[in-house]
Amino acid sequence: MKKKVLAVLLGGCMVAGLAAGCGSNDGGNTADSGDSGDGGSSYHFEVVVKSFQSTYWQAAIQGIDAAVEELGVTVNTTGPNAESDIADQVNMLNNAISQNPDGIALAANDQSAVLDSLQDALDAEIPVVCFDTGVPDAPEGSVIATIATDNESAGAVAAENMYEVIKDTIANATEQVRIGEVNQDATSANISGRGMGFINKMKELIEADGKTVAVIGNQFYVDQVENNGDEGSADVIIEVAVPAQTTVELSATEASNIMTKEDTIAIFGSNQVTAEGVLTANQNLSVLAATPDEGIVGVGFDAGATLKAAVADGTLIGAVTQAPVDQGNLAIKALYDYCEGKEVSDIATDSYWYDAENMEDADIAPNLYD
Amino acid sequence: MANRTASKTAGTNKSFIDRMGGQKFIVLIIVIVMFIFFCAMSPQFRKYTTVVSILDYSYYIALMAIGVTFPLLTAGVDLSIGTGLICYSLIGGYLVVHQGWPVAAGMLVTVLMGVIFGVINGCLVALMDLPAFLATLCTCMITRGFGALVVGGYGIPWPTATAPGGWFRSIFKIKIADQNIPIGFLWIILLVIVMSFVLNHTKMGRYTRAIGSNKEATRLSGVNVKFYHVMAYVICGLFAGLAAIAYSAIFATVQPGSGAGFELDAIGGAIVGGTSMTGAVGSITGTLVGVFVICLLKTGLPFIGLTANWQQIITGLVLIAAVLFDILKRKKEGN
Repeated sequence: MKKKVLAVLLGGCMVAGLAAGCGSNDGGNTADSGDSGDGGSSYHFEVVVKSFQSTYWQAAIQGIDAAVEELGVTVNTTGPNAESDIADQVNMLNNAISQNPDGIALAANDQSAVLDSLQDALDAEIPVVCFDTGVPDAPEGSVIATIATDNESAGAVAAENMYEVIKDTIANATEQVRIGEVNQDATSANISGRGMGFINKMKELIEADGKTVAVIGNQFYVDQVENNGDEGSADVIIEVAVPAQTTVELSATEASNIMTKEDTIAIFGSNQVTAEGVLTANQNLSVLAATPDEGIVGVGFDAGATLKAAVADGTLIGAVTQAPVDQGNLAIKALYDYCEGKEVSDIATDSYWYDAENMEDADIAPNLYD
Repeated sequence: MANRTASKTAGTNKSFIDRMGGQKFIVLIIVIVMFIFFCAMSPQFRKYTTVVSILDYSYYIALMAIGVTFPLLTAGVDLSIGTGLICYSLIGGYLVVHQGWPVAAGMLVTVLMGVIFGVINGCLVALMDLPAFLATLCTCMITRGFGALVVGGYGIPWPTATAPGGWFRSIFKIKIADQNIPIGFLWIILLVIVMSFVLNHTKMGRYTRAIGSNKEATRLSGVNVKFYHVMAYVICGLFAGLAAIAYSAIFATVQPGSGAGFELDAIGGAIVGGTSMTGAVGSITGTLVGVFVICLLKTGLPFIGLTANWQQIITGLVLIAAVLFDILKRKKEGN
């Protein structure tokens, strides 16, 4: 008997816990903010982000909140648990459409999965602004503007800044040298865009100085390289690695493999997870340094407390950050302008190089989320 | 089941392999062969730092696997350990980083959270008779959401090795004369010895196996089945909590939303090490050896230049081979 009572009590606790969890979950997942309440001019927008569980999106939401306060609109923000929860996000987008808002801001996790929903939005005459990631095949007229990082140029920014530090070593090298790149995947447009942006820019810079380059490693990236050199005879090897799963540990293993090769002079982790992978590998290897003479030059991408600390103390020579705050902000402003009858157009937001010197600057610091 | 146990104990004409511990012994040989193979294939793999890295990345999987062996022995499973690990670490880390708690207190909370979710899992499975797969799948989702909720979506950087409070990272790795010494491995060995003793020489262990073998018969023989069944999940939760400490100590940042899939490495390791998914059969030492098969594959395959897709295919094939071997051996014993 006692046990039954205990079981019932525990069951009750669980249910209560679940209810409490769900309740506060609503609070966490839907950030209702701002309410001007003056009728006519106040618009309501629905925002669907890629995921709530990443700091990057928290920064985007900061920008959204700032726009809400400035424009006196109301916004409801939703997003799935993880960026891989594609079906969940499509559901959320459909729900957003059925609310019949004045506009929708969308950061699509999958460019093809949202196409039907975008058609529905178009039929319901709801304007959609895509931010962070564009939807290239969207039905004509459904997406009024796309606000996204130019990932190719973001990758190129990393290559240019890395090349500054390693160019003398490449010029004076008598034997083959190696540059590593760790990309989280070979499927998403953002990652492959900046991965290729880095490779192409680095190849261009090295070849402009009269050296030859061969890109090896992951087939997806290698296949996209034009006029690839011969691995045996090239002066510089760019080795591209992609982990089997997107964990820090597997990124670190891929990074270790490159960083333990004698001829490696530099390495680039093209997002937060892979950049942290490079740092994790370095815990055991201790090879990262400010110049190729002392060790391996490391460059990261995005921010987060760990990456920021590594840039600040010089473990990484620097990193590239996108502008999530701007993107969230501009997405809401574009919707507002559209509702006010103004012209809106696509915006390519900047990506910034940051290092120990400039990370406190006013135009950099807000985009360096923890 | 009786057949199986009988042939194990009665064997007057045991083969050399069986005397050495059966499947465990073969898996241990596989680990050694794999290690030699990777060393031969890759000059980078042969380095001391690589060995330290393999050990670094094995601790949290090994700890989860030791724990999950207990629910597996009861013919259950715990799928919540992976996301749970991240959840416990996020909550403990949140208290340290954002609330100024001492690191030791944060660690204690981390382990305690594991125990609490172990109790919840145990109650759901043993007292309320939910299928273990379903119950722990639900707590898997709950821990994933709960962890992210507490930290508000932000990653948690536990103190770095050089920062104040960074001492806890030296539980698993110390630096002597510029060399990293992976002392965490000692703790793993110690815990394997302790838990092997618990499994083989205490009531807790014997009843855990008995529940997996025949729960009703165990109950009828007067054992407090419910208590011991719950305890199997509590032990699993405790080790998930310890795994959370290991994960926090090795990796710089704990990201909310991650962790799904960790449990499969741990469960896979236990199965490769000879633990049966139908319960009762298995050992802690086998689990440890099995974990190293998984960890060696994860680390070694990238080093011999195989790309992501091949890594997954080969890992899958190796697991099939290991489980198939187990089934064939049991069939042979059954005859």
